[in-house]
Amino acid sequence: MVKTPNIDKKIVIIFTIMLGLALVPTAIQIPMVTAQAPTVTSKYVNEDIPLDPNHAMWKELQLSEALLAGQQLVYPFSLDKGTRTLKFVSVHNGTHLAIYIEWDDETMDVEEPGKLDVFGDAVAVQFPVYQTELPNICMGTVDNPVNIVFWKAGVGVQNLVAGTGYGLSPEQREALGLHKVPTSPIERLPDQAQIWDAKGVYDNNKWKVVLIRPLGSIHELVPTFRPGESVSIVFAQWDGSKGERAGAKATGGWMTLKLEAAAIEGEAVVETVTEVPAEGIPLSTLIPVIVIGLGAVIGLVIAIALIFGERKKGS
Amino acid sequence: MVRAQISMVMVLDKCIGCHTCSVTCKNTWTNREGMEYAWWNDVETKPGIGYPKQWENQEIYGGGWVVKDNKLRLRIELKEYRMPKMDDYYTPFTYTYEELFTQEIVDQQPTAEPINMITEEPIDIQWGPNWEDDLAGLNETGSLDPNWNGVDKEIYLRYKDVFMFYLPRICNHCLNAPCITACPRKSLYKREEDGIVLLDQERCRGYRYCVQACPYKKVYYNWKTGKSEKCIFCYPLIETGQPTVCTWSCVGKIRYIGVVLYDENRVEEIAKADVKDLVKLQREIILDPFNPDVVNQARKDGVPETFIKAAKESPVYYMFKKWEIALPIHPEFRTLPMVFYVPPLNPVITTLDEKGLLSASYSDILPKIDELRIPIKYLANLFAAGNEEEVKKSLRKLLAIREFFRLIEVEKLNRSEAGKVLIDNDLTLEDAELMYRWLALGRERWIIPTRKTELTLKIGERGGVRIKW
Repeated sequence: MVKTPNIDKKIVIIFTIMLGLALVPTAIQIPMVTAQAPTVTSKYVNEDIPLDPNHAMWKELQLSEALLAGQQLVYPFSLDKGTRTLKFVSVHNGTHLAIYIEWDDETMDVEEPGKLDVFGDAVAVQFPVYQTELPNICMGTVDNPVNIVFWKAGVGVQNLVAGTGYGLSPEQREALGLHKVPTSPIERLPDQAQIWDAKGVYDNNKWKVVLIRPLGSIHELVPTFRPGESVSIVFAQWDGSKGERAGAKATGGWMTLKLEAAAIEGEAVVETVTEVPAEGIPLSTLIPVIVIGLGAVIGLVIAIALIFGERKKGS
Repeated sequence: MVRAQISMVMVLDKCIGCHTCSVTCKNTWTNREGMEYAWWNDVETKPGIGYPKQWENQEIYGGGWVVKDNKLRLRIELKEYRMPKMDDYYTPFTYTYEELFTQEIVDQQPTAEPINMITEEPIDIQWGPNWEDDLAGLNETGSLDPNWNGVDKEIYLRYKDVFMFYLPRICNHCLNAPCITACPRKSLYKREEDGIVLLDQERCRGYRYCVQACPYKKVYYNWKTGKSEKCIFCYPLIETGQPTVCTWSCVGKIRYIGVVLYDENRVEEIAKADVKDLVKLQREIILDPFNPDVVNQARKDGVPETFIKAAKESPVYYMFKKWEIALPIHPEFRTLPMVFYVPPLNPVITTLDEKGLLSASYSDILPKIDELRIPIKYLANLFAAGNEEEVKKSLRKLLAIREFFRLIEVEKLNRSEAGKVLIDNDLTLEDAELMYRWLALGRERWIIPTRKTELTLKIGERGGVRIKW
C-alpha cells in the first residue's frame, strides 16, 4: 500500500498565498509578459522527412507567417527600414524535427570561391537553451543563453550558441567543447553538436530552405525537443544583395512551436543520431572490461595449473 | 597615457620599384589558397589608381572617418558603399609551366598559357597588382588618380614621363584604425605593447566591415576560410628584434623601423582636427623621448626600458617628429597612420646643354623647391591632406642635406662654411651626420626592442583585464 505523504499545513497556506499573489496582477490586467507569443504546431508525420525543399510533402503543408523587421538596436544596423515576411512550417516524425522556411528574394546571393563582394542570403532560427524563462531576444544573456541554427547560401548550416560565453569557467567551457577563452559572443558549437542538416533551393525569386535535426541532443547547450511539449523560436533573415551580414538583418518576435504528440503512444524515440566523439574510452567502460579480462586470465592460469597438477599426480 | 608604437618610414627617392618586398611578403604570409589575390605589401606607381583600383577614392569604397556634428563617424555608417570585387584587385593568375616540359617537340618554342588561379581555366589577363608599373596605361587610368586635385593634370598626363615615383604600401597600423571600430565581433585589436594591429582569426566571421572601413584597403577577405586577414607587421620577427620581411629584403634600403612614444589620450581630439592641421597635430601626439617627464610617464604607464631606449634611437622619431621630413599617407582619412613616407624629390636633374648632355651652371645643379618636376600639390594631396607647406618643409631639408655634402665634397668648403645651408633649414651638423648615415649609407635602419618576458609589463588584455606576464 502506498503511503500518503503528510503535507504540512504551513506549506498549504504559503502555497495559497503565492497563488493569490500571482492571480492579482492577472485580475487587474497587469501584463506579466511583454509579448504574447503566437503558437504554431509542429505536426507529427509518420514517415521520413524529406530534406529537399521541392519535395511534394512541403507543398501540401499549410505555411505560417513570421513578420520580420530590420534590426535597429545595435551596430551594424540594417539599412532596410521596411518589414519582410517569412513563411514556414514545422513537422516531426518522432525522431527528427524539420523546419521548412521560404521567403521572397529577387536576387540569389551565394558565397562562392573568389567572390569577395558577395554576402550569402541567410536565415537563422533561435531557441532558448533552457525552456524555463524566455531569454533576451537579442542573442541571449550570460545566464540565459540561446541556441541558433544558421544557414547561409554557399556556406551551409551551423549550430551556434550565443550569450553563454562569459558565464562559464574555462574548465566548463572546455568540457562543452568550446574554446577555453570565449572567442566571441556567438560561438560555433563543437562537431558532436553539429546535428542540423540543411538544404536550400532558389527558384522563382524565392529561397526555400529545409532544416532537420534529431529531436534529442547530447550537448548541454543544445535543447532536446520532445513530442507533446513546446519550444520557443524566433527567426532572423539576411538579404545578401543589401549587404546584410552580422547585425544587419531582419528579425522577428518569439513564437511558440508546439510539437504534436506522436500518434501512437511510445512511438516517439527521443534519441540522438550523433556519435559521441572518439576521445578515448571512458574509465567506466574500461573497468568491467579489465575485471572480466583479468578474471578470464586468472581462471585460465588456474585451469592450466590444475590440469598440469593432475597430470603430474597421474605420472 | 604614454604608449609605444612600432612604426615605419619609407624613403621614396630610394625605392627602385623592384617588388622584392611584395614577393618576399607573399612567399612568407599569403602564398595560400583564398589569398592569391592579396598582397599585404604592394608597390604602386604614382600617378596611377593603384591596387585595388582607385583605393584612394572614398566616394567609391567609403573607407576612413568623417567628422559629423563634431563627432568622428565611420564613413560606412552613414551610407551604403560597395565592396571591392575581385576584379578591383585583379583576378589571380599563374601559367601552365609544366607544359613547357611535356609539350611535343615542334619547331616553335613551347609556351605556358595563363590560367585563372581560382577556376584553373584559361584567362585573358586584364589587370594585375602592379599593372601600372612605370606608368603603363597611364593614358587610360591616370586621370582617375585623386591626387591631381588642384593640379593642371592635363599637362602632366600629356607629357606623361614628366615625373613618376613608386609607392610601396603596407597596413599603416593606425592610431585611430577604422578597421578596429568597424568590426562588430571585436576581431581586430591594437596590441598595447607595440601598437601592431592584428585580426584574431578565432573571432572573425568574415563580415568584411574592416575591408570596407580601411581607407587604404589593406584588409583582405580570404574567400577560402571565410575570414579576413591583414599585414601583421611580421610580429614574430619584431618580437625577436628582427625587421619585417619587407624591410629585410628591401633592395633599395628604403625602409626604417623604430619605436615612437605617443599620447594615447589625444588620439580622438587629433583625429577630429581641422584638415589643414592634421599633419602638425599628428607630430604633436608623438612625444619627445628625451623629455624626462615623458620618460617618467612612460615608465608609470608600463612602457619597458627597452622600448624607451629604442624610442631615443628611433629613425622614425627623427624623420617624422624631429626633422619633419617624413609624412603620413592621406592624413585626411583621419586614421593617424603610423607608416610614414619621405616624399620624393625626383628627378633631381638639371637642364640639358646645347649638346643634349646633362649639365648646368652651379646654381642649377640642385633644383630650387619651386622648380621640381614633381608638382608639390600632388605630393601634398597624397601626404599632407593638401597642405603644401608640409611637403615643402620636407623637400627643402632633403635638398639642404644634399647641398651641404656637395659643398664639402665638390666645392671643398669646410664644414662650418657649408653648414650655413643647414642652419637656414633648421638643421644642425649632428642632424646632417645622422641623416647621411641613415639616408645615404643606410646604416642602423631598424632599432627594434625585443620583448623580454622577465619584465613585468602592464598589458591590458582585451576587455580591460590587467594581467602580469
